[in-house]
Amino acid sequence: MQPKPPPGLTPNGLRMRLGEWLPFALLVPSLIASFVYVFVFTGWTFYISLSDSSLLPTYGWVGFENYAKLWSSRRWNIAYNNLFFFSTFYVLGAMAVGLLLAILIDQKIRAESLWRTIFLYPLAVSFVVTGTVWSWLYSPVAGIEFMVQSLGFENFEFALTASRDLAIYAVIITGVWQSSGFAMALFLAGLRSVDQDLVKAAQIDGASSFRIYRRVILPSIGPIFIAVAVIMLQFAIKTFDLVVALTGGGPGISTTFPAIFVYDLMFQRGQIAQGAGAAIMMLLALTVVLVPYSLWMVWRRRRDSGHG
Amino acid sequence: MRRAIVLGTALGALAVCGSAYAQPKTLMLHQWESGSDAAAIAKLGEMFEAAGGAWEQTAIAGHTSNTLAKLRADVVAGSAPAAVQLKGPEIAEWNATGRTANLDDLATEEGWDEVVAPELLPVMKPTGSWVAAPMNIHRINWIWGNKAVMDEAGVADLPATWDEYNAACEQAAAIGKACLAHYSADWTDATTFEVVLYGMHPETFKAAFVEGDLDAMRSDEMIAALDQMRLMVSEHVDPDILGGGDYDATGQSLGNGDAMFQIMGDWFIGNLKSWGFEPGADIACAGAPMNSGQPGFILNSDSVVFFEQSDPDFIEGQRLLASLILSPDFQTIFNQAKGSIPARLDVDLSEGFNPCQQVAQADLTASIEAGTLVRSMAHNMTVLQKFRGAMMEVITEFVNSDMSSEEAANLMADEVEAQI
Amino acid sequence: MVDAVFADDPAARAAQRAYFVNRVVIYGLLGVFSLIYLLPLAVVIMNSFRPLPEIAEYGLINIPRQIHFSAWADAWGTYCINGACEGMKRNFMNSLYMTIPATIISTILGALNGYILSKWRFRGSEVLFTCMLLGVFIPGQLALLPWAFLLGQLGLNNSIAGLVLVHVIQGISFTTLFCRNFYVSIPDDLIKAARIDGAGFWRIFRKIVLPISPPILIVTVIWQFTGIWNEFLFGVVLTSGKQQPITAALVALAASETNVRNFDVMSAGVLIGAVPPLLVYFFGGKYFVRGLTQGAVK
Repeated sequence: MQPKPPPGLTPNGLRMRLGEWLPFALLVPSLIASFVYVFVFTGWTFYISLSDSSLLPTYGWVGFENYAKLWSSRRWNIAYNNLFFFSTFYVLGAMAVGLLLAILIDQKIRAESLWRTIFLYPLAVSFVVTGTVWSWLYSPVAGIEFMVQSLGFENFEFALTASRDLAIYAVIITGVWQSSGFAMALFLAGLRSVDQDLVKAAQIDGASSFRIYRRVILPSIGPIFIAVAVIMLQFAIKTFDLVVALTGGGPGISTTFPAIFVYDLMFQRGQIAQGAGAAIMMLLALTVVLVPYSLWMVWRRRRDSGHG
Repeated sequence: MRRAIVLGTALGALAVCGSAYAQPKTLMLHQWESGSDAAAIAKLGEMFEAAGGAWEQTAIAGHTSNTLAKLRADVVAGSAPAAVQLKGPEIAEWNATGRTANLDDLATEEGWDEVVAPELLPVMKPTGSWVAAPMNIHRINWIWGNKAVMDEAGVADLPATWDEYNAACEQAAAIGKACLAHYSADWTDATTFEVVLYGMHPETFKAAFVEGDLDAMRSDEMIAALDQMRLMVSEHVDPDILGGGDYDATGQSLGNGDAMFQIMGDWFIGNLKSWGFEPGADIACAGAPMNSGQPGFILNSDSVVFFEQSDPDFIEGQRLLASLILSPDFQTIFNQAKGSIPARLDVDLSEGFNPCQQVAQADLTASIEAGTLVRSMAHNMTVLQKFRGAMMEVITEFVNSDMSSEEAANLMADEVEAQI
Repeated sequence: MVDAVFADDPAARAAQRAYFVNRVVIYGLLGVFSLIYLLPLAVVIMNSFRPLPEIAEYGLINIPRQIHFSAWADAWGTYCINGACEGMKRNFMNSLYMTIPATIISTILGALNGYILSKWRFRGSEVLFTCMLLGVFIPGQLALLPWAFLLGQLGLNNSIAGLVLVHVIQGISFTTLFCRNFYVSIPDDLIKAARIDGAGFWRIFRKIVLPISPPILIVTVIWQFTGIWNEFLFGVVLTSGKQQPITAALVALAASETNVRNFDVMSAGVLIGAVPPLLVYFFGGKYFVRGLTQGAVK
C-alpha cells in the first residue's frame, strides 16, 4: 500500500491539510493508552521481576536471581508442562470438534440457526461458571458417575477430577466444550467463503463429498486453521479462572497452570518479584506463538498485494 | 466582596460542623462473604452503626488470595482500607511496611493485655505495639464422631491416641464404613496432617511448622507422622470423597453415617447445625488424639488489622471498631455463630455456647498450663505464606501420589529451603 | 415427493437411500453433540428449581420431583453473599453500568481506529497497528498492579468508572483488529472517488463506511459485552463494597468452601449471571458468523 498522495492545491488546501492530520489526531489517544498498557505495564513488570519486591513492589536490584529460582521451582515446572500438554490437546480437540460441527452444519440442514446457537452458547458463559458447573458434573458423589451408577451400572467410573493423572483431561474436556463453538463459527465462516465454482467443478468430476472436502475445500481455508490455532493457543496460555473454579489446581498441584502460579505468588504469598518473573515467562510463551504468526501474516499480505 | 464573605462564612460553618459532628466511619475488607460468617459480620456492622458509625465493607470470596490481591491493589493505589482481616505472620509483615495504625492508647485504656489469651499477644503486637484486634480463637485439632456409627462398630469413645484411632478404624472397616470423612485440598490435607503430627510428636510440630527448622522436617518423627497420614488416606477414607468430594459432601458423609470420624476445626459446628445435626449430641466431639496423654490445642485466630488513615473520621472509626471487636458482647455473639471461642479469656461460656465450645475453653486453659499450646501452620498462624505454601503443596502432593514418607519429608525441607 | 416419480429407477433409489443415510448420520451426530453441549445448561436449570434435600438425595443430575421457585427469589434479592443479605441484584446492575458504556466506547473507538488504519494510512501506521494488537495478549495478572496504581493516581480506584476505563483500553486492541480487517475489504477506489468529490474524513465515515459496518459492529459488541461481563479478576480486585460486579458474587457463590453449598441458589445465581450475555448471543449469533467471515478471519 502506497502512502496517500499529497493533497491537491485546491482552494480548500488548508482544510484538506487539517483533514490529513485529523485521522492521526483521532488515533493518538488510543495509541497512548495502548502504549501504556502494552509497553509501560510490561516494562514495569519486567523491572519488578529483577527487583527484591516481596510484599509490595520495591525497587532494590537483584538481577536475574528470581528467574533462577523460578526455573528451579518444581511447581513452576509442573505448571509449564501442564500448559504444553493442555495447549496441545485443547487446541487440537477444539479444532477437531469445531471443524466437524462446522461441516455438519454446512450440509444444508434444517433449523441451522438453532444448531449453531446450541454450539455457540458456551462462549457466552464465563469461565468461572463453566468451571463450577462442570465440577459438579465430574463430582463422583453427585455428578455423572453418581447418576450412571444409580441407573444400575454399579461399576461405572468417571472420576476425572479425583485423579491426579486424569484431572488435566477434565480441564481439557471442559475447555473444548467451552471453545469449540468459537472454532466452529470461524470454520463455518471459512467454509461459506469458499469459491462455490470450485466445488461445483469437483462435483461434476464425480468426486465424493469426503474427497471434495479433503482436496478442495479444506486446503482453501488453510489460513483459518492457523488463525483458529493462534486464538486458541492464546486462550490456553491465559487459562486461569476455568481451572481455579474446576479443580483449584488439584488434586495436589497436578493441574497448576502458569497464570495460577503468577497469581498465587504475586498476591497470596507475597513473592511479587518471582511472580512478575513468571508473568514475563508467560509473555515470552505468547511471543513464541505470535512472532511466527505475525511474520507469516505480513508475508501473506505482501504476497496478496503483490498479486493485485 | 459580599459574596466572598458569605462563602467564607459558609465554609467556616461547614468546617465547624465537620469537626463537631465527626462521624466515625470505617471500611472493612474481609473474606466472610457468605452463610453464617457473613451473618456474624453483619452483626458487627449493626453494632457499629448502633454506636453512631457509618459502616461499609468489602467482602471477597476465595480464601485469602483474592483478599490479599485486593489489599495489595488498594495499597498500591494509595488507599489502604481502614480495617482488614489478616492473620498470623501477615500481621507482622504488613506491620513491617510501616502502614499499620497503632492502637496502644485504646489497648491501655481498655486493658487488652490482661484479658486476651497470652499466645495471641505476640501475634497482635508484632513489634510491641497493638496493630490488630483478635476476634476469636479457633481450635484446629478436633475429632468429630458419628455416635450411631460408633455404636454400631462397637467403639465406645472417641480415640485418645493414634493407636486407638487406628484400632477404631479397623472396627469401622469391619462394618463396611469409611473411618474418616476427608476430601483432599491443600488446606484440608494440611489441617489433618498437622493434627496427626502434633498428636504424635508435638516437639517436631513446633520445630518444623512453627520455627521452620529444616532438620525437623527431615526427622524420623516427621516420617512417622507421614506414615500415619498415608495409612489414613489410603485405608480409612472413601476414595470417591477423597478425590471428588468437597467440604459439603465430606461433612454430610459424617452426618449421614457413611463415615465414622472427621478431623476438622471448630467452624464445623456451624456447618453441622445447618445440615441439621447436633454437635455434642448426634455428633460427638473431643480433642484429637494425643499420644502423650497431655492436653493439646492447636490455635487459630481471626483478627482485624488497622491501616493508617488520614481522614479523622476513619481514625475515629478504627478506635470504635477495635473497641467493639474486643467487647465481651461482640465476642459472645460472633463466636456463638462461628463455633469458635472468644479471644478474651474472661467471657463466660456457660450460656448460649454449645458443649464442644465449652470443652474447647477448658482444653485451652489446660493446654496453656501444660505448655503444649501451639499455633496452626495450616491456618496461617506460624510461618510466612511462602513457606506455608511450600509445606502445604508437599503435603497435598503426598496425599495425591504414591510418594514415600521419606521422599515427602525431604521434599518438604528442600522446597522450604528454596524459598529462603 | 418429486423423487417418488423415479422410485422405480434402481440408481435413483440407491441415491435416495444414500441421501437418507447421509441425513441420518448428520442429524444423529448433531443430536449427540447437542446433548453434550446442553447437559450443563439443563443441569443448572433443573437444579435451580429443585429443593436442596432432593439434590442431596438424588444427585446433581436428575429431573425435578418437586418444583420450587424460591431459589430464584433468594439469589436475586435475599441470599447472603459478599457480606450482605441482598442477593445479586446490586451486582447485576453494577455489571450493566460497567459493561454497557465500556462496550459502546470501545466499539466506537475500534471502528474509528479501524477506519483510520485501513483507509487513512500514513507512514508507520502498520507498525502502530501491530503494537496495538499486542494488547490482546497481555495476561490479566500482569496488568493488575499497574492498573491499581494508575487508577489510584487518577482517583478512579474502587469505582465503576475506573473499571470502564480499564475495559475500554484493554478492549481497543480487539475492536481495532476486528474493524480494521473488515474495512480493509472496502475498495480503496470508492474512498478515492469520494475524496475527489470533496467528501472529508467524517463524511466518508458516515456515508460509506458506517452503512456497511453492522456485521462487524455486532461482532465487536458481542465480543466486548460477553468478555467484560464475564471478567472476574479486575471485577473482584479493583472494586470495593457496593460497586462489585456480578462476577464477584458468582465467585463468592462458587468459592464458599467452608459453608454449606446451596446448589439451588447457586444454580439460580449462575443463570441470572449468564442471562445478559446469553441474550446477546441469541440475538446476535446469526450476525456473529457472518461478521467473522468478513472481519476476524482475514
